[in-house]
Amino acid sequence: MTVIEKSSLIGRRIAKLDAPEKASGQTRYVHDLDLPGQLHGSILRSARVHARIRRIDVSKARALPGVHAVLTAADVPYQRPLGVGKDQLPLKGDKVRSRRDEVAAVAAETVEIAEAALALIEVEYEDLPVLTDPSKALEPGAPVIHGENLAPPSPHDSLKPGEPGDAEAHRHNVAMTFDYAQGDVAAGEAESDVVVDDWFRLHYVTHCCMGVSGVIAEFDRSGNLTLHSNTQVPFLHKREFAEILGMDPGRIRIIQPPIGGGFGSKLDIYPFEPIAVFLAKATGRPVKLVFSREEEFVASPTRQPVLLRLRSGAKRDGTLTFRVCETLHDNGAYTSWGATTPFVMMQTISSLYRVPHCSYHTTAVYTNNPYAGSFRGYGNLQATFAVEQQMDELAEKLGIDPLEMRLRNAQEPGEVTPQGMHFRTCGLRQCLTTAAEASGYREKHRAALAAQKAPGHRKRGVGMASMLHVGGGAKIYPSDGCGTILKIDDFAHVTLMTGASEIGQGSETVLAQLVCEELGIPLDAVTVVNNDTDITPWDVGVHASRTTFIGGNSAIGAARKAKAKILAAAAKVAGVAEAELELRAGHIVRAASGEALMSLAKLLRSLHFSDKAELVMTTHYYEPPSRHQDKAFKGDVSAAYAWATQVVEVEVDTDTGVVRLVKVTGAHDVGRVLNRLGIEGQIEGGIVMGQGYAVTEDLIVEDGVVRNPGFRDYKLVTAPEIPEMDIHFIETMDGEGPQGAKGVGEAPAICMAAATANAICNATGVRIRDLPFTPEKVYRALHAAAAPAKAP
Amino acid sequence: MSHMREIEFELNGVRTRATVRLDMSALAMLRDVMGLTGTKYACGEGECGACTIIVDGVSVCSCLMFAVDCEDRTLTTIEGVGREPLGARLERAFVDCGAVQCGFCTPGVVMQAKHWLEAHPNPTRDEIKRGIEGNLCRCTGYVKIVDAIEAASRAEG
Amino acid sequence: MAVEEYWAPATLSDALERLRGGDVTILAGGTDLMPQSHAGRVTLARGLLNVRRVPELRGIEAADGGVRIGALCTMSELMRDPLVREHFGILAEACDHFASDQLRNAATLGGNVCNASPAGDTLVPLLVLDAEAELASKPDGRVQFRRVPLSAFFSGPGRTARAPDELLCAIRLPRPPAGFVGRFYKAGLRPALDISAISIGIGGVPGGRALGQARVAYGAVAPVPMRARRTEQALEGAVLDAATVERVAAIARDEVRPIDDVRASAWYRRELVFNMTRRMLGDVAHA
Repeated sequence: MTVIEKSSLIGRRIAKLDAPEKASGQTRYVHDLDLPGQLHGSILRSARVHARIRRIDVSKARALPGVHAVLTAADVPYQRPLGVGKDQLPLKGDKVRSRRDEVAAVAAETVEIAEAALALIEVEYEDLPVLTDPSKALEPGAPVIHGENLAPPSPHDSLKPGEPGDAEAHRHNVAMTFDYAQGDVAAGEAESDVVVDDWFRLHYVTHCCMGVSGVIAEFDRSGNLTLHSNTQVPFLHKREFAEILGMDPGRIRIIQPPIGGGFGSKLDIYPFEPIAVFLAKATGRPVKLVFSREEEFVASPTRQPVLLRLRSGAKRDGTLTFRVCETLHDNGAYTSWGATTPFVMMQTISSLYRVPHCSYHTTAVYTNNPYAGSFRGYGNLQATFAVEQQMDELAEKLGIDPLEMRLRNAQEPGEVTPQGMHFRTCGLRQCLTTAAEASGYREKHRAALAAQKAPGHRKRGVGMASMLHVGGGAKIYPSDGCGTILKIDDFAHVTLMTGASEIGQGSETVLAQLVCEELGIPLDAVTVVNNDTDITPWDVGVHASRTTFIGGNSAIGAARKAKAKILAAAAKVAGVAEAELELRAGHIVRAASGEALMSLAKLLRSLHFSDKAELVMTTHYYEPPSRHQDKAFKGDVSAAYAWATQVVEVEVDTDTGVVRLVKVTGAHDVGRVLNRLGIEGQIEGGIVMGQGYAVTEDLIVEDGVVRNPGFRDYKLVTAPEIPEMDIHFIETMDGEGPQGAKGVGEAPAICMAAATANAICNATGVRIRDLPFTPEKVYRALHAAAAPAKAP
Repeated sequence: MSHMREIEFELNGVRTRATVRLDMSALAMLRDVMGLTGTKYACGEGECGACTIIVDGVSVCSCLMFAVDCEDRTLTTIEGVGREPLGARLERAFVDCGAVQCGFCTPGVVMQAKHWLEAHPNPTRDEIKRGIEGNLCRCTGYVKIVDAIEAASRAEG
Repeated sequence: MAVEEYWAPATLSDALERLRGGDVTILAGGTDLMPQSHAGRVTLARGLLNVRRVPELRGIEAADGGVRIGALCTMSELMRDPLVREHFGILAEACDHFASDQLRNAATLGGNVCNASPAGDTLVPLLVLDAEAELASKPDGRVQFRRVPLSAFFSGPGRTARAPDELLCAIRLPRPPAGFVGRFYKAGLRPALDISAISIGIGGVPGGRALGQARVAYGAVAPVPMRARRTEQALEGAVLDAATVERVAAIARDEVRPIDDVRASAWYRRELVFNMTRRMLGDVAHA
């Protein structure tokens, strides 16, 4: 008798399925694909920040040998507005509103010819007054960015978040507003013993995906469009492309080659994508359009820059009483997802800690700056930066230990917050205590306070911050679901067709793992297909830390249906009750003894060929039990919530302002660890991305122009700069999560800037509310009395 | 348009001939002329290391090298490095240690690690970090990349 | 601009002949030329002259009591060279802060000198080491050499005393005085891969709490990397007590001429000059 012991893949260190191809250079990204007959597209961008286009002369460009098409807005009368705000056309015809604006496009036989052709295009501009300071956007007489109403009524208004400004508001440069309130702020303030009130300034950073933006568009003879696209939301884009192009969505197929980094940057449609389609249409040839790195810096989205005022109060015992938050979002020239980050920001303001009274207001205004999109953390880095600094400030004013201050106000499991979020599992308290104990927070904090005034230029300090983020999807669209098709062949090999996209985060591996766990098969018995809208079922997209949770539950659902079918068949063949059978290591076994009764492959073949002429193929669509927010932004938008506390230890050189991150101790409520290797990678990568946001990265935009469009002066963190990391997982076993897991993709980046700010303050006694903590910024803050005013 | 020139060199162990534009980079030659797309473009100014190859035994950014300067030299790219024991060990370690996420930087890091380990056979973790300071990775936070290089340096044959 | 011709001569004489013909871009490591030409900051000439095969541009050898470093020496070769490490440690130290391993493997000392960036990493230590540039030309059929002190070589950002028909063959460093100590500092968050906000080189012979024969140089604080002569004079014979160190550092802060750019403001650069000069003098005095 062969006995097969029960085993589990959950919590193990599992190598990514696509890693061997990637590590050997065989993976073909969009940049690496060339189609027969392919032309190369290139875009002429505005030479001005804000101007009317008087004249465009493309005749010389068209005459250049090797040029197949030169397009301006006049050549594409059918183009329709795109993006979240539907406030721009792919090719700009009347005026330009930022330096990234697309004025003309070329398709040519080589990239060199395309670029030579761009240089031959003559554009005559008439400059308009420029608006680059968002705080001046609402002043009387401010330049008007959008005078005209481009947007036709949207056919799916339910997709439109917030309160999009109407035509009148547009004229006053308001793109969007958000208002949220709970309780009675005045009453809260009246019962406060201390109040803090500060301005925080959050800067521009950008995604810097190592793979630059790119797309290949091709039409077949029947007019069907295939896009080889890096999108994170293929199914939403299929619909939106159809709308922009005036096509039947059924004729659009989106294939996602492996993506060289996403981080939220690929959630919106950007003009280069429909422009590639226009060029393909005009030439009848496949058109590939790939950015240079400089173009990537100039013409891809940024994280939302925010000017934020926060007032918070507390009672003498540390209990929070109220919070009032007002933010000004610099939308840039157009509205993308950055404008809607208040959805997430207000959750942190209202619900990271228990606050009875709270109000939140955002105005997003148009300027002539680059426009902001979604970026890992989605506003939460900004909100947490303010909230967690004020937790320290309140603690200091009250003479309470900062950890104690947080524990006193921490959310607990079961809590339903005034905003309507229901924390069925909540590990915040364990996160706080675990991170504090593992890092020696209390002792180090006290020691650094005592040493602040000691001589020497090296100051050590420690700071903490916590975070709350959606961990079970986010119900923003009509559905937050994901579909799975699962088929098993005659040899027990599974093909998992999932709507969930892989962007490097490891979703295909964790989905395969979850299916293996259900079906008792080894990982190499699964092939994941996840990159073709003609094959895979619908999914809302890879965002909001949702893929493991939503895609995972969907995959489990399909696997369980397959398992039920297999066990029912096996029960008949073996003459044993279904409940007594299990699937292990490719076999049907007796659950109690582990005795192997037959191989799974053999059972499948018998089912296929002899018994019932049946294949095992199942489908499942998982929709999380979350709810849309109401008009007042209240509702339980996620099926689960992720929590974390990070403690950052810094060393500040007061002679230079250099802040070095020494160590990060993180405690993350992840529900349950599924793939330890993968989740560690997510946390480590997120910590370093958060470090970049806090310390090194700064997209310098002056007068609407990006001054540092390259890695030379836009400084990503390099290997020698990373801190020591000590990561702890808090497993709260979420009831709705796949095997108990919650989403974690965005969480690790969120606390870093706030914790670093608190650590710098602990080290030096100086609180800086202005990111990033670059050496000169920190030095100026430390030597404020001596520093001359910096030119804005 | 710049003129062309035919050059000869050794590429991944094979004597190779290519016709290249005089102003073309070695990266463009590898990708567009030779069709070897494992070497990646990510910045074009030597700041990210995604295009790292090994030329005459040392790692360089192929985006900074003129293709004509490859004449008579010996080039190894990611497509060839796996045939050498250390290269194969590195590729395996990158997989096993979770050093790959989106994977776009990975070929360049593997190439740089290969050169670095040849020059520094028993590196400390800090030395490994210095060794790959010219390779940007946006996904991993470098920890698992350092793990992988360390593991490859310790593994036998 | 279209490149129409390419040469990779094997002799210095042939290389100089090509240079004399004019309309030539010199290619060595390529690490600056390639990105600069792609960005349009440098226009490639009609002819591309690869000097890689010229033997006179290679090698590191003892010469005139000091060392002659061929212009084609890469940063990696310099860092590893026993002669450089033993007697010119400040240069090896600066090379360690240069960009990244891949760039150190390709970038040449000659290229770094001829690019004449105010922030060029090796230029500050070379100034501290009293380096000379060895230039060759062939004006009338005969190869001629001349030497120019590096302190007179730079004339502005990207501009040098090298004539268009001249080739930089080598950098010559005289043997430093006995007991010479050098220190290098580069501001920034990273050990390398950074264009410096400022860099500082200080050298001299410590003794009796003073720094004799002091040489002080700064990078990225003026249109060219500069020797700080007033600062050096203030150091001569001065006992380096705390007050003197402050006074000398203040002279240095006054002597540099930085500008505002995306990397740093002029004010911050002066502050760094003051603070780090003070710190380094303290270190050197106690070396």
